[in-house]
Amino acid sequence: MAGDETQVETGVDVTRLIALLLCLPVTLLLVLPLALSLLFILPSLVDANGFAALLDHPQFWGSLRLTLFTGITSTALALLLALLVVALGATSASQTAPLLAMPHLAFAIGLGFLIAPTGLLARLIAGLFTGWTEPPPWQTVQDANGLGLTVALVLKETPFIVWAILSVLNRDDVKQAFAGQRRVARSLGHGEFAIWLKVLLPQILPRIMWPLVAVFSYGMTVVDMALVIGPGQPPTLANLIWTDLNDGEVLANQRGAAGVLILTGMIFALLAVAGVGVSGMQAALHRFYAAPARGIASTGMTFPLWTVFRLVYFAVLLVVALQSISGIWPFPNLLADQFTLKAWFRLMQDGGPLLTSFILALTATIAAVLACIIWFETTPAKLDRIVLVACGLSLCLPPLLIGLGQYRLFLHVGLTGTAFGLFMAHALPVTAYVFVMLHGPYRGFDPRWRAVSDGLAAPSRNFFFAVKLPLLKAPLLAAAGVGFAVSIAQFVPAQLMASGRFSTLPMEAVTLASGSNRALLAAYGLALMVLPLLAFLLASHFGKPRWSAR
Amino acid sequence: MFNRRRFLKTTLATTALGLLPRHAFAADWAAVEAAAKGQTVYFNAWAGADTINAYIAWAGGEVEKRFGVKVEHVKITDTAEVVKRVRDEVAAGKQQGSVDLVWINGENFRAMKQEKLLFGPFAESLPNFALVDVEGKPTTRQDFSEAVDGFESPWGMAQFTFFGDGAKVAKPPRSMVELAAFAKANPGRVTYTAPPDFYGTTFLKQALFEQTPDKSKIYQPADAGTAGMLTTDLFASFLDDFHKSLWRDGKQFPKTQAEVTQMVADGELLVGLTFNPNEPANLVAAGTLPATTIAWQHEKGTIGNTHFVAIPVNATAQAGAQVFANFLLSPEAQARKHDLKVWGDPTVLAVSKLSGDAAKLFMATAVPGAVSLPGPAVLEPHASWVGALEKAWLERYGRG
Repeated sequence: MAGDETQVETGVDVTRLIALLLCLPVTLLLVLPLALSLLFILPSLVDANGFAALLDHPQFWGSLRLTLFTGITSTALALLLALLVVALGATSASQTAPLLAMPHLAFAIGLGFLIAPTGLLARLIAGLFTGWTEPPPWQTVQDANGLGLTVALVLKETPFIVWAILSVLNRDDVKQAFAGQRRVARSLGHGEFAIWLKVLLPQILPRIMWPLVAVFSYGMTVVDMALVIGPGQPPTLANLIWTDLNDGEVLANQRGAAGVLILTGMIFALLAVAGVGVSGMQAALHRFYAAPARGIASTGMTFPLWTVFRLVYFAVLLVVALQSISGIWPFPNLLADQFTLKAWFRLMQDGGPLLTSFILALTATIAAVLACIIWFETTPAKLDRIVLVACGLSLCLPPLLIGLGQYRLFLHVGLTGTAFGLFMAHALPVTAYVFVMLHGPYRGFDPRWRAVSDGLAAPSRNFFFAVKLPLLKAPLLAAAGVGFAVSIAQFVPAQLMASGRFSTLPMEAVTLASGSNRALLAAYGLALMVLPLLAFLLASHFGKPRWSAR
Repeated sequence: MFNRRRFLKTTLATTALGLLPRHAFAADWAAVEAAAKGQTVYFNAWAGADTINAYIAWAGGEVEKRFGVKVEHVKITDTAEVVKRVRDEVAAGKQQGSVDLVWINGENFRAMKQEKLLFGPFAESLPNFALVDVEGKPTTRQDFSEAVDGFESPWGMAQFTFFGDGAKVAKPPRSMVELAAFAKANPGRVTYTAPPDFYGTTFLKQALFEQTPDKSKIYQPADAGTAGMLTTDLFASFLDDFHKSLWRDGKQFPKTQAEVTQMVADGELLVGLTFNPNEPANLVAAGTLPATTIAWQHEKGTIGNTHFVAIPVNATAQAGAQVFANFLLSPEAQARKHDLKVWGDPTVLAVSKLSGDAAKLFMATAVPGAVSLPGPAVLEPHASWVGALEKAWLERYGRG
């Protein structure tokens, strides 16, 4: 709805000025803060003290080993499971939404309630089989090898990769092409499994490269989840860094900053190695692809793998809900001695974190969606590249890196501990997600709609509100839903920026996770789960086309 | 000798003193109260226990009602975060800091005081400071090895205490050696929190105190030879073996004392630790621990100290922070804090100095979970031992 009519009459300078102004929202919410934050990281690159102290840290190598193990294993397993889920057929992209909506932190809290030595699982086993009177010596959470953390990451990332694969498969062009290729391969005598492995997979993998990079980067750098379910001696590298960044000693802060840079560098190095590895394997892969068909025999195997995932998530939700209303709950009783709403009253009474998280998510999402609409409506598509790079960086760089830069930047301009600073810390990743999600639908918007409207001599404004918005309603609402969920889940940048002046749901939950009030922790965990879920449900409800005849 | 230069210096100094915003100091208390009205005090305090959080909420409500000072409890897990934040803010020239009052003692206090990050001296000019038991409780003026000098106001007393279910712990271990024997007999059911958690570090200090032949050494600053002494006296001769029979084989440690308490309540552990001798009784009253709970201290004594509140040099609500600190010292607030049903934190006041009615509030009655086998309070080692212990421990046991 830009002033394309005015462009003819007014001077070029004014048009330029207006064009510049209209770029501003996305620039100010995302591009500029990100660029400046990264700039503020630079001094640490030449801080020899920090690097020396890090290499000297007795836990550095152990932490590094742990991070490599959890990050690589969880990504690989999640990819494998996601491919199995899709290959075994049985889900649609929309089915993944409720699972995606659950924040990692909340999932880790719930999983802990399920599998910890005093968890529901141990109580069930004690009651049904073993008659334990004391919790078993299970090393299921906070175990030295990070297995609990790995399992939590795998369970949480698989649905995301499933969603990424299905988004590729559901594209009309891909669908058609794959159907044709499948027919050809089948005529050549290849079985269903072979078709998957040799024909479809090599085409899917490159298309889900960025989601995979994001998953890997997340697994290597997650802080909140590892604080809840990860080991302590040594902790993951991200948590070692997190402790250092919050330490009272200057040298520890420097050491933490050096750690952030090393962790980032290592992720890039590993991705580069993976890239080289994949291209080096091309020859071998081609020999494998070219091997003659072994026969039509389809495995015919069906296994409701996706159902298992849904059950796990449902169990997590259930145990968190149950724990949140449980009073004193001695082991091995299957249920608490009494049920009480005390934790929920406390949560409402403390109100702050819930309200802060909600308001931040709402304002950040609205700001991001509006900024992106203004951008797409007014800015030439060729400039998208700059924003997309910023999005890619903010989705794939460790939140520790961006958060630290942002903290230094905002401290410099006196915005730490302010509501505005906190808003900006949330708006950055939200804008990145919203922009990425809207980019396709917006730039791919069929220009013929506009042609029809112009043919009918309808004013731009009418076209925008009466035709374009309704047509883009579903992607807009979906992007808003994701933005909202992303905002709710922010921990590292939020904690650094809040200076204790504000508390959000994840900050409160992390504090409670090392306390002794499990019911209150569960209440916060459930609030963390429910808010994004509601946003998704609302988005998908109102995103349905009105004329749908289903 | 009174030369011109000296004269100039003196004049400048007196002028500068006169220009200081006098209302900011406690000397003129009515002015402080007037300035405090309408201020919001961001009280940065460790928030690991519900009882404490609830008490802070109560105290905040009272000063809002009585003095128009609003208190926001900033819930933190480690006071070192606050030291960092204040240092960053002061370095960045931020005058209106985000911290108005901080719950503090020991190494964090020493760091802030030495780096001139604290406002004051103010503590001894607080009207209620006159009631503090400075003779009977010398740690109200000497925080670890650092002189307080009025840069923090005493809030409560602490002494390292152990607890467990009397039905499962028939004969409580009254020394580190006995505790090690107990752990060997009950493998996997004893642990302590990983330093730098406050409780973990104190556990190590306690072990050091009991294991070091020459106790005078730990009251001098830790030095280059310290690491060697820790290795021989503490690690090789005690902890190495002790760890083998701990929870998770001494390979992992709980992060917080609250986790330990929860595991004792669940029956996963047999021995809990606390710095508040009344906490076990408080937890029995709350129904978290069974009525058969017992608490004890080691025969030869356990580490004891005082915890304080301090005001950062760049606090925004300095007057409000003083009003709140003064209220926390009032007999009413101290008695409520002392109450087992509320928090059970021992008072810093000299009960003998109080009027009959006020003194009655502090009368102890025998309750389940109270310390039944007490030991004398032992002074904290020199504050520099904290860093030395944490570092050496991490190097020996933190590598995984």
